[in-house]
Amino acid sequence: MKQFVLASIIAGALALPAAAADYKIMAPAAPGGGWDQTARSMQTALQDEKISSSVQVNNVPGAGGTIGLAQFVNQANGDPTQLIVGGYVMVGAILTNASPVTLDQITPIARLTGEYEAIVVPAASDIKDMAGLVAKLKADPGAVSWGGGSAGGTDHIAAGLLAKAVGVDPTKINYIAFSGGGEALAAILGGQVTVGISGYGEFESQIKAGQLRIIGISSEAKVEAIDAPTFKESGVDVSIQNWRMVAAAPGLSADQKAAVLADVDKMVQSATWKKILADKGWANTYLAGDEFSAQLKKDTEATAAILKDIGLVK
Amino acid sequence: MDTFGLLAQGLLTALEPMNLLYALIGVTLGTAVGVLPGIGPALTVALLLPVTYKLDPAGSLIMFAGIYYGGMYGGSTTSILLNTPGESASIVTALEGNKMARAGRGGPALATAAIGSFVAGLIATIGLAFIAPTIVKMALSFGPAEYFALMILAFMTVSAAFGDSTLRGLTALFIGLGLGLIGIDLQTGQARLAFGIPDLLDGIEVTTLAVALFAIGEALSVAAGKSSSSTIQAVKGSVWMTREDWRRSWKPWLRGTAIGFPIGAMPAGGAEIGTFLSYSVEKQLAEKPEEFGHGAIEGVAGPEAANNASAAGTLVPLLTLGLPTTATAAIMLAGFQQFGLQPGPLLFATNPQLVWGLIASLLVANLMLLVLNLPLIGVWIKLLTIPTPWLYAGILTFATLGTIGANAAVSQVNVLGLFTLPVSFELGMLLAFGLLGYGLRRFGYPIAPVVVGLILGPMAEQQLRRALAISQGDLLILIGSPIAVILLLLAATAVLLPLYLRARGRGKVLAQLGASED
Amino acid sequence: MSQTDHQQAKRRPDRAALVIAAALAIVAVVIAWSTASHGVGANYARVGPTTFPYFIAAVFLGLSIWTAFEAFRGDFPEREHQEISPILWIVGGLVAQMLLLKVAGFAIATGLLFAATARAFGRGPLWQTIPIGLVLSFVIWIIFAKGLQLSLPAGPLEQLF
Repeated sequence: MKQFVLASIIAGALALPAAAADYKIMAPAAPGGGWDQTARSMQTALQDEKISSSVQVNNVPGAGGTIGLAQFVNQANGDPTQLIVGGYVMVGAILTNASPVTLDQITPIARLTGEYEAIVVPAASDIKDMAGLVAKLKADPGAVSWGGGSAGGTDHIAAGLLAKAVGVDPTKINYIAFSGGGEALAAILGGQVTVGISGYGEFESQIKAGQLRIIGISSEAKVEAIDAPTFKESGVDVSIQNWRMVAAAPGLSADQKAAVLADVDKMVQSATWKKILADKGWANTYLAGDEFSAQLKKDTEATAAILKDIGLVK
Repeated sequence: MDTFGLLAQGLLTALEPMNLLYALIGVTLGTAVGVLPGIGPALTVALLLPVTYKLDPAGSLIMFAGIYYGGMYGGSTTSILLNTPGESASIVTALEGNKMARAGRGGPALATAAIGSFVAGLIATIGLAFIAPTIVKMALSFGPAEYFALMILAFMTVSAAFGDSTLRGLTALFIGLGLGLIGIDLQTGQARLAFGIPDLLDGIEVTTLAVALFAIGEALSVAAGKSSSSTIQAVKGSVWMTREDWRRSWKPWLRGTAIGFPIGAMPAGGAEIGTFLSYSVEKQLAEKPEEFGHGAIEGVAGPEAANNASAAGTLVPLLTLGLPTTATAAIMLAGFQQFGLQPGPLLFATNPQLVWGLIASLLVANLMLLVLNLPLIGVWIKLLTIPTPWLYAGILTFATLGTIGANAAVSQVNVLGLFTLPVSFELGMLLAFGLLGYGLRRFGYPIAPVVVGLILGPMAEQQLRRALAISQGDLLILIGSPIAVILLLLAATAVLLPLYLRARGRGKVLAQLGASED
Repeated sequence: MSQTDHQQAKRRPDRAALVIAAALAIVAVVIAWSTASHGVGANYARVGPTTFPYFIAAVFLGLSIWTAFEAFRGDFPEREHQEISPILWIVGGLVAQMLLLKVAGFAIATGLLFAATARAFGRGPLWQTIPIGLVLSFVIWIIFAKGLQLSLPAGPLEQLF
């Protein structure tokens, strides 16, 4: 007990003054992945800009974020200090998992960023470009193993769309799910899977270091900072953007929602946030409030159609 | 500047008086939070990270390192003294450590854990500094097939904790494996054995199960069997390690380090596996294997060293590849980012000062932990002199405190159709598993295999399915690499050798029995 | 497993062990039944989301039979006499804490658990142990919730601060 008392004295001396705008952000993914990076970037921006004095991030990984979402819906109800990061992946995962909780149950705040899907191979791979990958895929779809995030996520959807676009049965792709960016990246670097498919940001430092070769990016048009052809430029008619959002707890009053929205708006306009976006190569696709809610609804409907098309949802 | 120069410079910074004070504060805070059952180093660091934000980069890094080591050591302390593992990597420590504490040897158990952690941390941190690139290459050569083989080897270690009945040991293991099935399946996104309960979609939390089985199950068991004495002897003999303890500890420390460091460096290894393997190795090599299960010091020394070494191992992929492979590593990443440090393949080249500063900080924090905790052992073991009612009341208070703090989930529960109450589902699980723990003890089932099954089962399943998907169903992939073959052979030896020895031993016993009955 | 003669005195079959065997069989059935309601998802792996559950269910069934067998042979270890009331006290304390945690806050709920546990080990009376538990829990709450920012539920008592 002596140590507890000692600790409490020291802790008391150090403890930050309790502020009104403390936030807890849930990243419903394993550490290292896209949502985790988004949550931690928000943490940095909110704290550095003094919008909130203390921001905690916790990770609840699994199944395209639906595990975290379920937990968030359960435990955050009516608590305006809790936020959850999510994104396009969640839209798909809710459908494929027949999740008992949906995005209708949380309070959407804003879409923050968008990231494009990149396809990479280890530097030593014999696949040099998109044509090489397509040829392999057509020869034997099972022989091309795709390492990416959880089943039914953006990575999985993008792989399926690509297969469909080049005339390969999308249900035949050999997709290996990993629970977090770190684990998938290790498998790609180690040559355990044929190709890796995930958000560009997860591969960026390895691409720059020459350990991975990027063979395509899923944007509509060429992205300046990324030295790779788009899928479309390589003759594959697929484009997909993995947007990320922040949402608040269910059961908030209009005032509480407005307060959170104001804090997020302040964060998005801040210099710190803009610098983070630039550093990470994330496109600023900020869309807030009701406009975002409408867009979210549209995306949900469109995704349901895509998933059915590629056989991930019956 | 060369490696040595940079490290020396980092050490000089870390040893400034102000920085030493930060290390001391960090270690103290880390230990205070880390002792809470269910709150491991990752959560400890996450909770306390904001404290470091106010300091300059050097001070911040060093306090951070202190918190990290303190958090890890805190978990071991409760394992040994209260049979309540603070986190999954110190479950094995409870097996022998608590037996030692009950026999009045809590002092040596804590000392061998502290010194073993120090030795392992020292060697592993030096390893991190000098052989990281080699280790990481080896770690990346591990694919799903190799991981699966490693899991099989780890499964064999469970049998070391089976106790005297194979039936009851296996049953305990499969209870754990069954619990591991609960939740959403990663490869297909389907919910398994969740029975429509959203709280079960996350699966069973390892720390909840461990705390319930060990702490609550034991409290129930001791309370119910009042007549039978499970008396705790607070101190017998010296509080310090004897010459004999030293002799029996130093090899397990080194072996534990050798096992823990590379496994920690593997992206999907995990600290627990290192501790399981170390325990099993020590049992196989012990001079007195019969002491295992009754408080063998090797069973504390080895796993504790493995745990600390694997923590340093985690930094290998983080610093060399930018891969955060554990929750703790990911939180460290957040810590680095506040200095504009972006871990990745180029980190050692672009930011040598901070990397070496961090390594130096780890060394200093490690030393600080030892300096702080060795004198405190005498205080810690006084905990055991608290009268039983207060002791167990306190254990249950802290056990539930950790669970409440780590998981704030609540669900609305209808009470007798009269009114609804917000109830913590996790506390309900704690109670249910506590009763399970009591039942297991009552009928002579071992506890550890349940937890081991829950940890290893899902890992083994995912890796097997990944391996077979990559090979398109070809089973040969499982023995497709030398590493996998060696691991599987080791696993086979681990099973067959004791069986063979036991069969011979039993033959003798049978012969004696037959002779005496005539 | 060669103890035969020493066990003659023991009641056979061991009824508690038979109950365990039955419980294991029920677990096997529940796992298998729950798994059968799933779709398949194995593409290339051949080992799909149902393989492990079926395997584990099968082993549970085997363990159930083995346990029943040992029950008849009386291979289970001797059990000591157990008192029920301490168990009820501890379980009651945990249930009280679970139910009251959010409503009454950490200190009150955990204080009751503390007192109930002490009572299970024969330490009372409650009018003494409950205040002790309350004060201890409250101090813990201040240290961990205020000092170290752990999220512990606050009730009327905590809100005074």
